[in-house]
Amino acid sequence: MAVTGTLEIRRSSASVWGSPSGLRSLPAVSKLVDTSTCIGCKACEVACQEWNDLPSVATMNDGDYQTLPTLDAAFWNLIRFDEREVDGGIKWLMRKDQCMHCADPGCLEACPAPGAIVQYENGIVDVNPAQCIGCGYCETGCPFDVPRFSAKTGKMSKCTLCVDRVSIGLEPACIKACPTGCLHFGTKDDMVALGKQRVAQLKAAGYASAALYDPTGVGGTGVVTVLAHGDHPEWYGGLPGSPRIPWGVAIWKKFLRPLGFLAILGAVIGAFGHHLYHGNKGHVDPGPLDTDEPKA
Amino acid sequence: MSKVVRQIGFDEGAFAAREKEDVVVGGEIIRHRLSSRVIHWTVANTFLLCLITGLPVWTPVFGWLGTLVGGLSVCRLVHPIAGLAFAAASLAMAVQWWDDMKMTKEERGWVGPKLLEYLRDAANHDRIGKYNGGQKVYFYTTKLAALGLLVSGVVLWFPASFAPWMRVVAIVLHNLTFILFAVSLVFHIYLASVAEPGTFNSMTRGTVSKAWARIHHPKWYRDLLGLEKKGP
Repeated sequence: MAVTGTLEIRRSSASVWGSPSGLRSLPAVSKLVDTSTCIGCKACEVACQEWNDLPSVATMNDGDYQTLPTLDAAFWNLIRFDEREVDGGIKWLMRKDQCMHCADPGCLEACPAPGAIVQYENGIVDVNPAQCIGCGYCETGCPFDVPRFSAKTGKMSKCTLCVDRVSIGLEPACIKACPTGCLHFGTKDDMVALGKQRVAQLKAAGYASAALYDPTGVGGTGVVTVLAHGDHPEWYGGLPGSPRIPWGVAIWKKFLRPLGFLAILGAVIGAFGHHLYHGNKGHVDPGPLDTDEPKA
Repeated sequence: MSKVVRQIGFDEGAFAAREKEDVVVGGEIIRHRLSSRVIHWTVANTFLLCLITGLPVWTPVFGWLGTLVGGLSVCRLVHPIAGLAFAAASLAMAVQWWDDMKMTKEERGWVGPKLLEYLRDAANHDRIGKYNGGQKVYFYTTKLAALGLLVSGVVLWFPASFAPWMRVVAIVLHNLTFILFAVSLVFHIYLASVAEPGTFNSMTRGTVSKAWARIHHPKWYRDLLGLEKKGP
């Protein structure tokens, strides 16, 4: 769903191009999800499907109030539902599972196709289907298990943070649809400030471990989440406590790739050098061939 | 034991090399029979295809290679299938060449200083049979790398079917085994072509000259011609 031409690209997968030019400067945008005021109505799910023209996906009832077991190539916004006993009472914990739009995106880092994943100047991370080869490396790179492969298109897909709406000054569809004010949209700074305010309110209301989820391991996210039980993010549909880009991705791109490149180049130079210095092996006349004795 | 075929025609060596190897035909010795050469070039060409379709995915520096086959999307489709063909051909090669590749204790020294001696042209060749220790080390290295490439490649082919940690390990393993294979291959190509004239012919026509055999593989030469080593 790439919006090329309207937003400057800050980073582009598998390319050196895409560093910030500094010519245009946009503040990073973010959603704020206040899970403590989510009632699980799924209006955001419907709005997402509607705006993005995604086909309906057959829902599955496995005994709770969650629409699907997990995200799908045609379902980018899933309200995770967890029922949990906390301090002798039952809690319904909702969480908005979607692309987190990391400041340091693991998908973009792992992607081998130039320009298939881009990060716009305003921080939105997007898949460009024209460049995507459907290899699934982004699935491996994502610490939140978000990108999904579509067998129909042969491409990866995920939440675009409604970049098409945001780039013309509208808020994302899910924000527009939320009836409780649980979802907010604005600059990252504003959303963090608002989130901290909500956390303070929750703490005052007795939720001592309330916290704002904005993990630093991925440079912060473009979806910040208020958690009443901030000391247990995993209670909220398995939200990782300290997400990081998987070690193998960095080892490949930052270590093994330059090392391998130099090793192969070194071997070629070594072979040339060997030939220049030693010349052909076997250039010495072995003498008459019959100097060995026949066996008795 | 001597298996000398009487020379009756100009190209008898090439004809005989269709089915036989390790036999002397006139002034030539057949080193690789046709099936061995077909297997070798299948391994080589499927690897070349993997290289052309894999390098642009490994690093965008080689993006232009992807363009040759129609872009990265084609690479993504072709690479795993070419990889399977490469693995199958490598297996056939391992089976066919296994007996010739058994290593003696002495040959294990080729992993280290013996290889450098050889490259300095200072090694004692007297006991070198059909394959020297370096060639055997190369054989095992490439077969092991091929196995690593296959296992990690299958995981990378179907990422959604494997656990995240397996995919991460697969990326690292595919990198490591590729680098191991590629570096070894550079030396293999060099030593089997310009470094040692006459060697390349053994993989095309199948034959080498007696002089070549005596210089590079004296024990093999003596065994085929039924000769004892003269002197100490």
